[in-house]
Amino acid sequence: MNYVEWLRVRNLLKIVVIILAILVVLAVVLRISFARYMSPEAWVAHAAMQHGTHETHLTLSDGTKRLILDNPSERTRIVVDDHGYAGRHIVITEPTSSSHSDTDHVNVGSIQVVESRHGTITTTVIDTNGAVPMLYYMLLADIVALIVATILAAPFAREADGHLEIALTKPISRIRFALGTIGADVVGIIAASIITVVAFYLCQLLFESARVDFSGINTRAIAMGIAAPLAWYAMLCAATTWLHRSYGAVLGFAWPVVILIAVLSIINPTNVVALFIHDVAWVLARIIPFSYVQFASPDSHNALIYQGGDFARRLSLEILLFVVYGALAIWKWQRLEA
Amino acid sequence: MPAVLTVDPRSGVPIYLQIIEQIKRSVALGILQSGEQLPTVKQLAIDLTVNPNTVARAYRELERQQVIETSPGRGSFIRSNGVTESPKVAAEIGRDALDVALREAKSVGLARDEVRELFDAALQRWFPTFEK
Amino acid sequence: MSTITISNLRKSYGRIPAVDGFSLEIPGASVFGLLGPNGAGKTTTFKCMLGLARPASGEILYDGKPLAPAMFERIAYIPERSVLYDWMTVEEHVEMTRRAFRSFDPARAFELLATFNIDRRRRVRALSKGMRTAVMVALAFARNAEILVLDEPTGGLDPVNQRHVLSLMINEAAKGNSVIFSSHQIGQVERAAEHIAVMDRGQLILQGLVDDLKADRKIVEGIFPDITFTLDGIANDARVARADRTERVVRLLVTGGADEIAERLANAGAMGVRVLDLNLEDIFLYAVSPATSTADVVAKETSS
Repeated sequence: MNYVEWLRVRNLLKIVVIILAILVVLAVVLRISFARYMSPEAWVAHAAMQHGTHETHLTLSDGTKRLILDNPSERTRIVVDDHGYAGRHIVITEPTSSSHSDTDHVNVGSIQVVESRHGTITTTVIDTNGAVPMLYYMLLADIVALIVATILAAPFAREADGHLEIALTKPISRIRFALGTIGADVVGIIAASIITVVAFYLCQLLFESARVDFSGINTRAIAMGIAAPLAWYAMLCAATTWLHRSYGAVLGFAWPVVILIAVLSIINPTNVVALFIHDVAWVLARIIPFSYVQFASPDSHNALIYQGGDFARRLSLEILLFVVYGALAIWKWQRLEA
Repeated sequence: MPAVLTVDPRSGVPIYLQIIEQIKRSVALGILQSGEQLPTVKQLAIDLTVNPNTVARAYRELERQQVIETSPGRGSFIRSNGVTESPKVAAEIGRDALDVALREAKSVGLARDEVRELFDAALQRWFPTFEK
Repeated sequence: MSTITISNLRKSYGRIPAVDGFSLEIPGASVFGLLGPNGAGKTTTFKCMLGLARPASGEILYDGKPLAPAMFERIAYIPERSVLYDWMTVEEHVEMTRRAFRSFDPARAFELLATFNIDRRRRVRALSKGMRTAVMVALAFARNAEILVLDEPTGGLDPVNQRHVLSLMINEAAKGNSVIFSSHQIGQVERAAEHIAVMDRGQLILQGLVDDLKADRKIVEGIFPDITFTLDGIANDARVARADRTERVVRLLVTGGADEIAERLANAGAMGVRVLDLNLEDIFLYAVSPATSTADVVAKETSS
């Protein structure tokens, strides 16, 4: 029944796949260059070549290849446990220098670095191929999902733009038609998220055995990462249906307007006028789905945590906005005339 | 048989009357023989590109005038009660044509004798007889 | 067999009434032609019939029942302008229709597209106006619908294809289906329609069987010997719809009883009394043009 909307979704997903495929190809190119010029082997070899370094190769009972680089004159010791595709566990022991802080904890993608100082000696533990928080994937997926949602978010306005005679003379009720249409778009937006996650997972897989962490904040990130673009879609869908004659402008100005409102609602007012503008913006921001999005923020140890204890409330609000905006769009759709 | 039938929908004469007139004429001229089957209403409607109900109306009227007969399930046929039909239909056509001509003559103010003179002249032209 | 009853239909766009108290009964199993000048309200009537526009008042019943979405399975509609999707191919439109309607016959649609010489792989964007009409015709006539509502179904088509569309309409009527169509080409309506209705400024001004209208409506013309004549009350006869008088010539538009009126005119002293046939175009023009439109008209005699 909603074949046309499925076609629209399909055509858009084709473009998404093409763009992501180009990204994957770029990653392949990068992987090839990386293997030749920037491999850890090259780095280790560099350390091994330093004067006075003793190099010891061992194979542990579980098959791990251990390389020990010992340089007594520099008081440096590097132990590299190579688990092959499963990554490396590197322990560096060296004299403390001014560049070292008390403790440091860095997460970059799958690489985790923990630095700890014990008097004059600093130990740095590097784990490549740690678990990657799903949160990272969801952030990337949401960028794509939001773009897809913005493009798809005028299904009823597009029908009203000269095709109502086809859309409204089908043997189904207008509500069923509308639900089918929104359903097709929702599937398209979620599919775009999944395709993006898969594409970036593939990219990561080119470099290491990617492990994804779904626990804790990540589960929440998935839920919010799906709900927020859908609520955004529903909001634009309602706006484009009500202003169906100028739906292009609605879609075009949606982002600038929302960003402006967000900025105005955040900045601290300095005078009465600014306070008024701030208050208006703050109220307006309540009906924008992004106001309730909170993924996570780094804590004092640079670990990602979700600070708000009101995740359930925020997620419910996103879903509520999706339902309310969806209902508004359908209500208007039922009243359109050819 | 449909080859002899054409209708002019732009004419002021109703299409069903045109069909009636032409079928009668075909009967008079012997193009349609008694007992000959006519196309179905649907077929003739499609051939002439006119409404089937209009064709059906013409057939009903022809049946009433006893020019054709319709037996359910078999179709419509030119009435087979003999060759007498065609002269009768021919006479009807001639009478109608004369009627039109005389009405026109009257409307332009010709007198009875003048009309008779014209009629005799026309008769001599179309149906010549040797002078006595 | 579906009789469509329109009663007291009203619909305005802004302050302008598009349809203003329109009632009509459209018999089933035939071809019904809706005529009217531009802006008469034909398209609005069709849209109200199909629920595409909400009437301000009035009622439209199909065999006594109001329109329900499920009934679109039996109704095919060709709108006045192209409503096809520019970015989709012809083939995709066939697929769209197949998915929406159970009784749609895609093979028949492709067959019809072939007779219109339309390449099914082309995008609608690349089609001319006439070709778009042809695509809509192909989709509608492959629907196996019982009611076909066709708003200008021959727009932009060449004469050969126009005739082809008329044949398709005739064929549907012969199968017992109802065809309701509008056209600016009165010749088409004259040929294919059994019933017609003429709309003007949102109102119904004439309706009936085409053949009956032609049989009834005649012009009776008479010439008087001098300019001082009286019609002796003829113009007040109920059958005289309109009387135009120019110098010595009088022309009467009559509905029924033309011969009798002609005789009365002759008795009143008129010479050269003639009864002229009217084709549908004449009937249409007389119906929609107000009596005062001819400059040298003397309207009906006021009294005698």
